[in-house]
Amino acid sequence: MSVLKEWIFTTDHKKVGLLYLIGSMAAFAFAGFSALMMRAELSSIGPTITNNPGDYNVWLYFHGAAMILGFQIPALTGFLANYLVPLQIGAKDVAFPRINALSVWLFYMGLILALLTFVVPDPPDVMWTGYPPYSTITFANTALYTFTVLLLGFASILGGVNFLTTIAFMRAPGIGWNQLNMFTWCTFAAFILQLIFVPVLGTAVTLISLDKYLGTHFFDPSSGGDVLVYQNLFWFYSHPAVYVILLPFIGIVFDIVATFARNRIFNYKAAVYGGVGGILLLAGEVWIHHLYVTGMPDWIRVGQMVTTLLISIPVGLLFISLVGTLYKGSISFETPMLYALSVVFLMLIGGLTGIPLAIVSLTLHVSDTYYIPGHFHYVMAVAGTFAIFGGVYYLFPKFTGKMYNEFVGKLAFWITFVGVNVIFFPMMIVGVTEGMPRRYWDYAQFPGAEPYQYWMTVGAAIIGVGFLLVLFNWIHALFAGPKAGNNPWGSRSLEWTTTSPPLDHGNWEEVPKIEEGWGPYEYGTEKT
Amino acid sequence: MSNHAHAHEHGPILTPWPLVISIGILAMIPLAFIFKFSYHNSFAAILSLGIGAPLCIIGVIGWVREAIGGDELSQGLGFGAMGWFILAEALIFLPGFATYWVLRLSAESWPPPGSVDMPQLMPVIMTVVLVSSSLTIHKAEGLLEAGDVAGFRKWLAATMLLGLSFLLMSIYEWNHLFHLGFTIDVNVFSSSFFSLTGLHGSHVFVGLGIFLAIMIPAMSGKINHTFVRTGSLYWHFVDIIWFFVVSQLYFW
Repeated sequence: MSVLKEWIFTTDHKKVGLLYLIGSMAAFAFAGFSALMMRAELSSIGPTITNNPGDYNVWLYFHGAAMILGFQIPALTGFLANYLVPLQIGAKDVAFPRINALSVWLFYMGLILALLTFVVPDPPDVMWTGYPPYSTITFANTALYTFTVLLLGFASILGGVNFLTTIAFMRAPGIGWNQLNMFTWCTFAAFILQLIFVPVLGTAVTLISLDKYLGTHFFDPSSGGDVLVYQNLFWFYSHPAVYVILLPFIGIVFDIVATFARNRIFNYKAAVYGGVGGILLLAGEVWIHHLYVTGMPDWIRVGQMVTTLLISIPVGLLFISLVGTLYKGSISFETPMLYALSVVFLMLIGGLTGIPLAIVSLTLHVSDTYYIPGHFHYVMAVAGTFAIFGGVYYLFPKFTGKMYNEFVGKLAFWITFVGVNVIFFPMMIVGVTEGMPRRYWDYAQFPGAEPYQYWMTVGAAIIGVGFLLVLFNWIHALFAGPKAGNNPWGSRSLEWTTTSPPLDHGNWEEVPKIEEGWGPYEYGTEKT
Repeated sequence: MSNHAHAHEHGPILTPWPLVISIGILAMIPLAFIFKFSYHNSFAAILSLGIGAPLCIIGVIGWVREAIGGDELSQGLGFGAMGWFILAEALIFLPGFATYWVLRLSAESWPPPGSVDMPQLMPVIMTVVLVSSSLTIHKAEGLLEAGDVAGFRKWLAATMLLGLSFLLMSIYEWNHLFHLGFTIDVNVFSSSFFSLTGLHGSHVFVGLGIFLAIMIPAMSGKINHTFVRTGSLYWHFVDIIWFFVVSQLYFW
């Protein structure tokens, strides 16, 4: 009983973080299950596992909403931020521990609403975008979508208030802004984006439920409403949401790469102020590239084409820093490092295939084809997920005190890595060569797509096996893993100076003393 | 900061209230709304509301009782954090206004059919009342800084009275418009009008809740200065938003 109380009444940032991990992994499991259902349905032409296209729409809705709002954002800005940021800045906890607990429980309430999708008779079928006018006239339960977004969004806003205050004011004496870990910097930027953009999504999804249930006319063209207003508001949030995911995941990749290359961050200031800062500045000026085909005036489309292409510059700076960090490093390839390096590869493919999408004249031809989900799964979905899994492996010895099995870890990595490429590379090809449209539950008009679809389904099954192996490895290590020691990776970063797991309350016996010239990446020249 | 050591002596904070409030919010708003509007089950909606609202109130009372002593790591940081929260709040209002502006500026004729002449006197009175309440809370804060607790309570009570009368006038105003046949589902103007005034009114309501949570402990002499400054900052923000609401919806 007291153990239960310690968890559900906790305000400790480490326990809150682990609660986020459990919740977000549950969302990942259900959303992954939805993806497997979709892939099974698509494996051949004609009804495969269901006769009801509505089922497919529900899977499509749940997969997108739960993966982005229930898994990636909470795993990165909930689990990793909660667990790592106070440890990396030498704080005993976050600034507002009670608000932190409120965030995680609101996240769980949002998760409950999301999972009601599988219980209610009228599950939402509006994708994760909830576009009107369909979302305002469907018989399905749009309110469930609205409130899922509102609860998860409110949790994010409270998290933002908390972490911005924590990072700004709770650093141990002696840790300046230029000595912060890349992950802490990226979290700081991601939460600024959350605070600015999540409220916009909140208002947008509220307006569709007002339209549907209270009879307002915001998105009803027959009474002077305008559906494009919704699309603009939605992407005004949802493009920056990509950076809310990208920034923390590239942050954790930086920390992993520096640790396993035993090297300083190459060009730290350019990565922070140019890379992270540049993304922060440009994040809110590119959303129109999601709306190229909606009949925007050209001057808007071309303007945002330019800003979209400009995003390559800060991302490029981050890339150079990542690769430069490897240069002359003393590299070893443990499981977290494999994940981190694969993120660099996946982002390269996803990034390069994104450049044509930034260009209006090219996008018009591939818009709404499989090329789009292929591209964004590489750059955001898979890269983000691999970074999260790398991060969990990296921190596993810290938060459990146990070590996972390295061989099974690497095996599972390679299986999933093969699986994602078997799905998402053909996805881009079939989008261009066959013009296979997105979101279809059946594709009799595109018989040429069938072999690709079949192999993509095989890829999905491979990923499923890979992730089950990961889960097995973690659970096995949790109960039967060998002791890991306090700093198994030989990292210089502050979170590894405490015990594994850290002290329940306060993290350290004493607030760590920061010496002159200390930095989280000061590996010097000796080989460790 | 000495507070670090201080908090350490108290041991870890274990508190049920965040969980209680979260369950309360889930029952009070999403579940009640879904029962009422998706499934047309008023009984279940009222039941859900009846479970959720008390949970929220109990949760807030418990939270305030715990935190008002101020033995937290964060002592004093709440004021700045409210600044971040207000940024988010402002961006809840902005898309509402943006939607209204787009719909209004792209309309063939304005006001759209079905609209009525907006009252002119009431919004002016409401503005005066709300601005006065910002001045009274400022006065209360000043008295508290000077150590005059009795004066602080008096001016805080005046602020709450002004806020309450603002809400009552809003209700009167809505009621008046309903009787003229101007309800939320009439046209795009009525949609914007009731959504934005409703959103603003809900913030006034929350502000009053914050003041109540300051007032009740203050009766027995428990006052946390950070609470007061933070609540007051929020109130000024709600006041400023009203200028946008009133100028855009009544006098444009």
